[in-house]
Amino acid sequence: MATRDEIREALADYRVSCNSNERLRRMQRDWSKVIHLDALDVDAKFTMHVVRGEITSIDDGLSGPCDVLVRAQSEDFADMFWGDLNPVQKYLQGEIKVQGSQEDVMRLDAISSIIWPEV
Amino acid sequence: MATSELRRALGLRTVVSTSAGLAFAAIDYLAIGGLIAYATGGAAWIPILVAGFLVLLAWGFFGELNGMFPTAAAIRLYMSKAMGDRLALGIAFSYMTTIVLVVAADAFIIGSALAHALGAGRWLALAFVVGLLGLATLSNLAGVRVAGWVQDLATYAVLAVTTGVAVAAFTLPSFRLSTPLTPLAHHPAGDLVQAVALGVFLYAAFEWVTTSAEEVRRPTSIARGMLIAIGLLALVCSLVAVAMSGLLDHAELASAYPQVILGQRVAGQAGVVLMTAVTAVTALNTFNGGFVTASRFVYAVAREGNLPRAFSRLNDRAVPFVPVLMLAGASTFVAVIVAATNSWQVLVATGATLEAMIYAVAGVCVHRLRRRLPEAERPHRVRAARVLAPAGVGLFAVLALAAGMTVGSRFDPLPLAIVGAMGAAAAAYVLAYLPRLQAAQAARRALAEPRRRRPPRSPGPAGAVDPMGSGGPMLAVEPVIATDPAGPDGPVPG
Repeated sequence: MATRDEIREALADYRVSCNSNERLRRMQRDWSKVIHLDALDVDAKFTMHVVRGEITSIDDGLSGPCDVLVRAQSEDFADMFWGDLNPVQKYLQGEIKVQGSQEDVMRLDAISSIIWPEV
Repeated sequence: MATSELRRALGLRTVVSTSAGLAFAAIDYLAIGGLIAYATGGAAWIPILVAGFLVLLAWGFFGELNGMFPTAAAIRLYMSKAMGDRLALGIAFSYMTTIVLVVAADAFIIGSALAHALGAGRWLALAFVVGLLGLATLSNLAGVRVAGWVQDLATYAVLAVTTGVAVAAFTLPSFRLSTPLTPLAHHPAGDLVQAVALGVFLYAAFEWVTTSAEEVRRPTSIARGMLIAIGLLALVCSLVAVAMSGLLDHAELASAYPQVILGQRVAGQAGVVLMTAVTAVTALNTFNGGFVTASRFVYAVAREGNLPRAFSRLNDRAVPFVPVLMLAGASTFVAVIVAATNSWQVLVATGATLEAMIYAVAGVCVHRLRRRLPEAERPHRVRAARVLAPAGVGLFAVLALAAGMTVGSRFDPLPLAIVGAMGAAAAAYVLAYLPRLQAAQAARRALAEPRRRRPPRSPGPAGAVDPMGSGGPMLAVEPVIATDPAGPDGPVPG
């Protein structure tokens, strides 16, 4: 079980990796979304704001309506945002649950696929 | 506690339009024309309604499975849980080929309708086919999406105009309704089975809307929307069948554009233009839904490690371009062959066979999951599943065989052979190639330096961490794994 701080640390690293990847920024230039992350086993919830492909903020708690809601175990969140886990495998096994349009769900996975292509 | 609410979610109206729009492809007009050959004249509506009642069984299956796994990946989930991962993957690959057939069929039919409307010949139709698929491919690669309201408008307009033309046909002096209540007059009973098998094809793909399960405002909308869509399809297809049987002769029914001829009988040249436009609009749903659904499925399977990694590569619009190009190539190949040989009836029969088979598979999944996951939550349950699931499996298997052994109104096992070949190719891939692919991926990862980016946990003062962040109860530390051989560097799960 990962702690809220561990997930927060993973998200901070994820934000740097995303924002510093030129190709990803170019690919996601038309993608502005609010993403809610909700850990199922610990009290850890986050709201991620993406503006034209750039992660502009990651706040504690779930604020306002969202475009994509991701629910997962805390360990999966920490591993996913550190790039140690392939989110699609967990998603296709039903362990990561997502709500939102198929396009947004794919875009979210595309981020992992671009910054950690080897995973 | 704060909860999440989706900013944009699909309502019942869009669920209905998606379900009905994906099912009501241009090929349905041709399938109705073909179906009339099996039933006597005005009685063609009877096998369509019988097929509709049978499809309600499939609706029950998909409703239950979707309720258990409300995700776009549901087909992978319920099939692998019911029958194992490899078999599930093989069936899913075969299922995806239906999309290639439907896209190819729609391109051919629209090309033929346009050529007919312009008074042009087969070569121009062929050029239209290639041009349409090229346009659809380019727009997909550019990441163009059809907005939900456009899709709603397109679907409801197609259904409304088709219904209007069919009802207007009843008022024409030349309309002759023969034996509307006796489908077996001058026909053997086997013809009715064939007609019902083709009738099932008219509803095919209504279940594709289950991939939108993560987008709906209310989870119950999917099952309810599919039910309404089946009702709409039954109504519109029955009306068109009666209208066509009362106005069109055998050669016209067997043509590649019976709907355009129907429009011509009803409203002259304006009717030709109207029905050609309606035919073209159906492609909006087929091309958009077909390309997006299939290419994203292939992308996900490649990301999962069950297809070569090239299939998960993205272009600068975040579009998995290899699957899109592969689908476009396969659809164009099939459409050109059909256009050159005018063998669209083989396409209809193959699609009908595949669809009936997939409904039978859904019945198998319901039956097996009732035993394997008896405690799983089922918001939508098939009543008397112990009887209805095996009965549905048997019924749809018989219909698949019936559809697969006839082309037009003659015995021809070509559709069954095509489906068998596709199944064999999928099985060969899953059994022979996939293990080698996975072994190669595992070897490549084993050769790479073991890596794990996540830093090891620093133990707390008493060897404990606080799982609640700060202020929560303290628990014993879990073992720290610096490198995880079975994790990202280990073998890819099959």
